[in-house]
Amino acid sequence: MVARVAGVFDEKLTEAIANSKILVVGAGGIGCEILKNLVLTGFPQIEIIDLDTIDVSNLNRQFLFHKEHVGKSKAQVAKDSALTFNPNVNIVAHHDSVISNDYGVSYFKQFNLVMNALDNRVARNHVNRMCLAANVPLIETGTAGYAGQVELIKKGLTQCYECQPKAPQKTFPGCTIRNTPSEPIHCIVWAKHLFNQLFGEEDPDQDVSPDTADPEAAGDAGASALSSEGTATGNVERKSTRQWAAETSYDPEKLFSKLFGDDIRYLLSMENLWKKRRPPTPLTWNNLPGKDEPQAQHSGLPDQRVWTVHECAQVFASSCNALQADLKSRADGDHLVWDKDEKSAMDFVTACANIRAHIFNIPQKSRFEIKSMAGNIIPAIATANAIVAGLAVLRAQAVLRGELASCGSVYLRPKVNHRGQLFVPEKTLTPPNPKCYVCAPKPEVGLACNLKQLTLKDLTTAFKDGLNMQAPDATVEGKGLVVLSSEPGETDHNNDKTLEEIGLNDGCALLVDDFLQNYEVRVRLQQEDEEKSWRLVTDSDAPMPGPKEDEKPANGSNGSEEPKPGPSRSRTRADSDSDMEIIEEDEDETTVKPPKRRRTEMSDEIVELC
Amino acid sequence: MVENNEVELSEAEAEQYDRQIRLWGLESQKRLRASKVLIIGLSGLGAEIAKNIILSGVKSVCLLDSEKLKEIDLYSQFLAPPDKVGENKAEASLQRARALNPMVDVTSETKAVDDLPDEFFTTFDIVCATGLKQEQLERINNACRDSNKKFLCGDVWGMYGYMFADLVDHEYSEEIVQHKAVKRGPDDTEKNARETVSITVKRRAIYVPLQNALSADWSKPELRSRLRRGDPSYFVLKILFRFRDEYNRNPDPAKRKADTEILLKMRDELVKELNLPVGFVSDALLTDVFGIVAGAAAVVGGVIGQEVVKAVSQREPPHNNMFFFNPVKCVGFVELYGQ
Ligand SMILES: [Zn+2]
Repeated sequence: MVARVAGVFDEKLTEAIANSKILVVGAGGIGCEILKNLVLTGFPQIEIIDLDTIDVSNLNRQFLFHKEHVGKSKAQVAKDSALTFNPNVNIVAHHDSVISNDYGVSYFKQFNLVMNALDNRVARNHVNRMCLAANVPLIETGTAGYAGQVELIKKGLTQCYECQPKAPQKTFPGCTIRNTPSEPIHCIVWAKHLFNQLFGEEDPDQDVSPDTADPEAAGDAGASALSSEGTATGNVERKSTRQWAAETSYDPEKLFSKLFGDDIRYLLSMENLWKKRRPPTPLTWNNLPGKDEPQAQHSGLPDQRVWTVHECAQVFASSCNALQADLKSRADGDHLVWDKDEKSAMDFVTACANIRAHIFNIPQKSRFEIKSMAGNIIPAIATANAIVAGLAVLRAQAVLRGELASCGSVYLRPKVNHRGQLFVPEKTLTPPNPKCYVCAPKPEVGLACNLKQLTLKDLTTAFKDGLNMQAPDATVEGKGLVVLSSEPGETDHNNDKTLEEIGLNDGCALLVDDFLQNYEVRVRLQQEDEEKSWRLVTDSDAPMPGPKEDEKPANGSNGSEEPKPGPSRSRTRADSDSDMEIIEEDEDETTVKPPKRRRTEMSDEIVELC
Repeated sequence: MVENNEVELSEAEAEQYDRQIRLWGLESQKRLRASKVLIIGLSGLGAEIAKNIILSGVKSVCLLDSEKLKEIDLYSQFLAPPDKVGENKAEASLQRARALNPMVDVTSETKAVDDLPDEFFTTFDIVCATGLKQEQLERINNACRDSNKKFLCGDVWGMYGYMFADLVDHEYSEEIVQHKAVKRGPDDTEKNARETVSITVKRRAIYVPLQNALSADWSKPELRSRLRRGDPSYFVLKILFRFRDEYNRNPDPAKRKADTEILLKMRDELVKELNLPVGFVSDALLTDVFGIVAGAAAVVGGVIGQEVVKAVSQREPPHNNMFFFNPVKCVGFVELYGQ
């Protein structure tokens, strides 16, 4: 059954394949290709896991899926399709998240090899830790556009996925989003926040109304003067946007007048903001630019045409009505979740972003472009996925053969390098970073924060977002005092207390562990009066993750190099097969230095700090 | 050159091709949609190429193979179902190939290439040939060249593979991204505000036919200096073509031991003939050339598929003119031969 014709592989490999059991994490672009290669080669036991369902935009590359499968489980359909290539192999499909208690260390231990075909950092970090804990080799893959990579991760032998801290990316201060946008992306982020304020999960960090606490506007007499008038126009400041919208029955005209008229006039009253900036222009519903203009000649996709402000207002009204109807049809307390593939949701964000852009003299964008930026889309093609998955399975064969030392990372380049190489292998394995806060024998990391301000709740966030734990437990080193418990309710009463209030001080160390990941790290607390939130500190020079960072895609093709906001807060997966490392080689042919590496990745979340 | 018919994409096309249009643009997608592709040889590599090209959204793909599906094909050929062993390979692949993308017109041709006139090949915009002998490849290449049609060929033996391209006189556009620092206003405090400006440049590449590339003169110093790079993939290809010519088949997994000996002997002859350094073409590359390994077919089929997309969309520089995948080092590289 294995390698169905004897003699294709030497006996050693034939035997190793026959006795192997492989886990494939992800059934997207690369996952489909990996599964095909494994099944054809005759790997007898395979498990595949993916929590996603099939979307029509997957069909240009995820070739195990066809139109009639849209909406179905990726893992299940991938299994069914792959079995038609070779009915003799055994495939188990899980329509599930890999981050679950059902897939603990003992689950991972049953495999000879794990192959990652994921599209987001959270799951990659998690599988990395599971494989370290289970001591199972992991082949990590990724593509973005024409580029891609394959990397072997093996405890003690190679660096792990988290050995090199990911570079923090540009973030947008809340006041830029709320008061002084200067780029299209600022308006898009604002529009997505507005969606959540009106129809989605309300989040106080996603306020869309003018921010009076803007330090730049400090001492602004005009603002206070106008805020007293605020009540007349619907209490600009005090009432939540959602509440106000509900009271007006989501009347599009009234919403428009508040968001793009009153709020803008309020901003204008914060005169300090406009001393050096071009002030925004409030709009009135009945007098919008583009109303009587004949439609300009357009070639290209309908979505690639930039709407006039008047059209935006019309789309604003119709999408508002549709979204409100959707919200109304749901049970009390339920809310909508923004989705780029949901027509009204995408229309709403396009319209609002462009109206706001017009107000602030920022270039308007087409629905097509805004979808890329708002939906965090990394372009994906069949060929790059096929190449990376092919290389990954060849690497898997070498790992099974016991040739781990020859399995250096391989990079698929978008164009050949100066040596004519399209696939660039690293000659040696990159050893583990001894200071890695994940795979070092005694992991350790510093947490810089203001102990007088950081609450226990914030600390949980730091462990989850910064250290990528799922359910952290923390005790004070040497005292055994439980600071945080993953048991629901056990330490919740302390949530709003500051670290100082519960007796933690500068230099204090916490032992933090995640039971599922079988991962424990020693966290040193460092008092920093200036730190408004928290920041991880290691001995290396590399910048470390801070709160809710936003990351850039690996290649901003189609001209968009701006950071792309993902759905904030919720850890929604980005839409791609991406998350990759790009090699930057020294163009000087005489140097023998190893290539510089840069991990560039894409975002799961957008961040705002003010 | 593939014409870009000015018909706009339908909503269904825009939706299905969304992720790639965001990479190579609408213009490329329109060119793809107008192009007719012939794929010769429906082994595992042919299936990989067909999959990639059909998914990309070309106008039509013709699958040509005169041979019957064998057991050995099954561990890399996923378009032909296992229960169709004994049937014609191209016909057996039709149903699954069509299911990959119903918007592409997929047909089959069961005549042998030697029984088809030159005019048959030149009805396509681009021909991808696999599994043929050198002289068959040269004949089709020259027929295409005379009609200014593009030609690619490639093969996978075991884990090793290559591709050759003759795009004749090829014009293409290349996007070059430049970064520049910008200031958005007198108050701009963001020091690193950057803007990317991408400019499109027109370029041209001249290709040579396969016979030139395969008869490269290794006594010339400029080629000789290439030996210093130490990769013997070109010579492995020469040896495998000789094997195919001489025995009228590929190295056979069932005769792994005997065929390896023949290959090593052919290697020794070639080393002598071209006066190559002893040990330059190591045994390692010649011992894993049996059958078609699925992973290698995916790798080489991915490269060839991408070159077809580049060639017909006339966007991004295509490889000129040989690509080799050396599985021992896991390196894939491009070299120009015969010019
Ligand atoms: Zn590590």
